[in-house]
Amino acid sequence: MECFNCGCLLTENEFCTNCGADVRVYKKIIFASNRYYNIALERAGVRDLSGAAESLRQCLKLNKNHVEARNLLGLIYYETGEVVSALNEWVMSKNIKPLKNIADDYIEDIRSNPTQLDTLTQAVKKYNQALNYCMQDSVDLAVIQLKKVLSMNSKYLQAHQLLALIYMSQEEWDKAEKEIEKALRIDTSNTLTMRYMKEIDIAITQDEGRSQSKKKSKEEKNAKKYKSGNDTVIQPINNKDSRGLSTILNIIIGVLIGLAIAIFLILPARIQTEVAKVNEQVAEYSELLTQKTADVQEREGQIETLKEQLAQTEEALEAYTGTDGTIAAYEQLLEAASIYMQEEPDVMAVADSLGKIDETYVEQEAPDYFKSVYNELLALIGPEVSDSYYQTGMAEFNVQNYSEAINYFLMAVSFDETDSLALYQLAESYYRNEDLENAVIYYNLVIERFPGKNSAVNSRRRLNTIEQQQ
Amino acid sequence: MINFEEELKKFHPSVEIEEAEDVLYSQDTTDLADVLVDVIKEAQEEE
Repeated sequence: MECFNCGCLLTENEFCTNCGADVRVYKKIIFASNRYYNIALERAGVRDLSGAAESLRQCLKLNKNHVEARNLLGLIYYETGEVVSALNEWVMSKNIKPLKNIADDYIEDIRSNPTQLDTLTQAVKKYNQALNYCMQDSVDLAVIQLKKVLSMNSKYLQAHQLLALIYMSQEEWDKAEKEIEKALRIDTSNTLTMRYMKEIDIAITQDEGRSQSKKKSKEEKNAKKYKSGNDTVIQPINNKDSRGLSTILNIIIGVLIGLAIAIFLILPARIQTEVAKVNEQVAEYSELLTQKTADVQEREGQIETLKEQLAQTEEALEAYTGTDGTIAAYEQLLEAASIYMQEEPDVMAVADSLGKIDETYVEQEAPDYFKSVYNELLALIGPEVSDSYYQTGMAEFNVQNYSEAINYFLMAVSFDETDSLALYQLAESYYRNEDLENAVIYYNLVIERFPGKNSAVNSRRRLNTIEQQQ
Repeated sequence: MINFEEELKKFHPSVEIEEAEDVLYSQDTTDLADVLVDVIKEAQEEE
């Protein structure tokens, strides 16, 4: 104990040994405060929480710095659902004694579990709301709210008491009794709880008394009374006669109840089961249908893709086998090569095959290897074929069939461009056929390509003649 | 017999967490020891 004046530790003397202040009354106050605290401890020990709280409040009125009293009061508040009041006490306690204070642990415990704190504070809010509903005569809503409160915090004493009060006002004594019993388990000597308990007991006793007296009076009404001497004999009702009838009635009622159960309970249940099965099957089929539809759509997509690919392939094939005749060109070239590779090749047949190949294709589109093979074959058979065409052309020339001779000489020149005679005879055939324009072209070609040869001299002479004629 | 309306008046709203700070600061913490100290001080001043 410290001196209120100087804070020095007090001794057994009635004055402070440090400052000399009279501490007689002060010591009595502190002793009284401690006494209240001890009483509170005893009460809390037997779960008389409201009694303990009252003693602790008295203790703190005498000595506000009684840390243990504040901590215990906080615990009692917490135990009865008043979380915020509990926190208040612990905070004040910690403020008085910051170090080595168990209130610190309590606060830390609550702080470390925010979910629990939130639930407890929500319970407080809902309780206040329920109280508000009661004030507004919305008792049903209040009951719902209070049930929620108690589901969140089953130790909420005031909530139990309020719920019991509502049940009592509605004369639901059994429910009220249950709530009060729960409240009593939290706080064994709460005055309000005890008073409600007493009221409920009275009400239940009265109810039982009324029901028993009703039963008794009914029995008395049905009983037969007669006098035997001086005694009045009350004979209870003989139910023997009606027992058989009642048995039959009971059986009939039983059968009817059985039928009713079958019709109203079993049958709808079975119908419901069947409907559920059908619904399940419908769901399965619809799922299957959806799956199939998805498959069909996928297949349609695949068909579309394949069609596109087919069109592309056809287009590509068309490119190979179309107007340019690529495949045909290859076939002709192979045929020509195949004939040439025989032991005694028919050069005219080779020439015929090569002649069928489109020259435009060879010049513009054919790949290099195609051109190489083509030109090689042409070089190999060229002079021989050219000579053959030349001979035929001369035969036609000699019988003055100049137009035919022109064709053969053209073929001869195409197979061997170095054949000066074939070129000259071509020009001569044009001249004889009176196609002077082409004749001049080919005479000039002879002069240009073979300037030192006789054919060139003859060509020059023929050109002079043409000039003179013109 | 219990009167519901009268009984209801005995129930008071619990302190909610939002009000905790206000309640803490507004609490009258004067105890008998404080009163005693005040009385002694006043007596000393009069002397």
